[in-house]
Amino acid sequence: MRFMVIVKANKDSEAGVMPTEKMLTEMGKYNEELVKAGVMLAGEGLQPSSKGARVRFDGKTRTVTDGPFSETKELIAGFWLWQVRSRDEALEWLKRAPFTDGEELELRQVFEMEDFGAEFTPELREQEKRVMAEAEKNRSKS
Amino acid sequence: MKFMVIRKADKDTEAGVMPTEQLVTDMLKYNEEMIKAGVMLDGMGLQPSIKGARVRFDNGKPTVIDGPFAETKELVAGFSLIQVKSREEAIEWVKRWPKIDGGGNVEIEIRQVYEAEDFGAEFTPEMRKHEAWLRDAAEKRSATPR
Repeated sequence: MRFMVIVKANKDSEAGVMPTEKMLTEMGKYNEELVKAGVMLAGEGLQPSSKGARVRFDGKTRTVTDGPFSETKELIAGFWLWQVRSRDEALEWLKRAPFTDGEELELRQVFEMEDFGAEFTPELREQEKRVMAEAEKNRSKS
Repeated sequence: MKFMVIRKADKDTEAGVMPTEQLVTDMLKYNEEMIKAGVMLDGMGLQPSIKGARVRFDNGKPTVIDGPFAETKELVAGFSLIQVKSREEAIEWVKRWPKIDGGGNVEIEIRQVYEAEDFGAEFTPEMRKHEAWLRDAAEKRSATPR
């Protein structure tokens, strides 16, 4: 099963406050444990929303609004992608993350092909497999 | 430059309403174009927050709260990771998002990903090497699921 672990934003992440060397060291250790256990698939930190944008679709119109976005509770600061045997396993790992004060993380299960029904026809499933294999090539070159 | 493209949740995604065959077709076509352009790195959909949880850390102690979470505006329904030459290029790709998604009514957020060069001295040469090793090892895992 795959899960996305979302690190929610806060005023520090939005202000571009960089992690200390100590925090980076602890996170590096944690990430290493995740990799060694075969759990870690990916992880990224996101720059503040002041560098971002939102695109709103409404029928034919596309409206682009530049960041920053003031509702910090709606923002994310980073994420991991994990592969685990169960939701419980994901929660056990999550509880050990090196966060200490006020941080909030969200665990969300990823849709796999078997979660879809007939709308995802055999042809579409084949196409998806091909597309994802190509994406993986793009990742390894990135 | 790398960007995360976030498809924000709405009441349908939270209710577990599945995409139609037409939307799956359009989304795959869109993804395939981004892949061929060397832009798309990854992408997936997230199950409704009723299957999820939140963990809050206070004084180093974690507290778990099960979903669902009522504030839909705070939720992510899906995302992709793209690699482009500029923020403008990212926006141009996002404007081409499948128009039938969300019945023509969706909000997509674009956020720039931190890369090694964005960090300063606190990210020591040793840490950078370690990080590169971790990414490589994790990348190998994502190619061969358990």
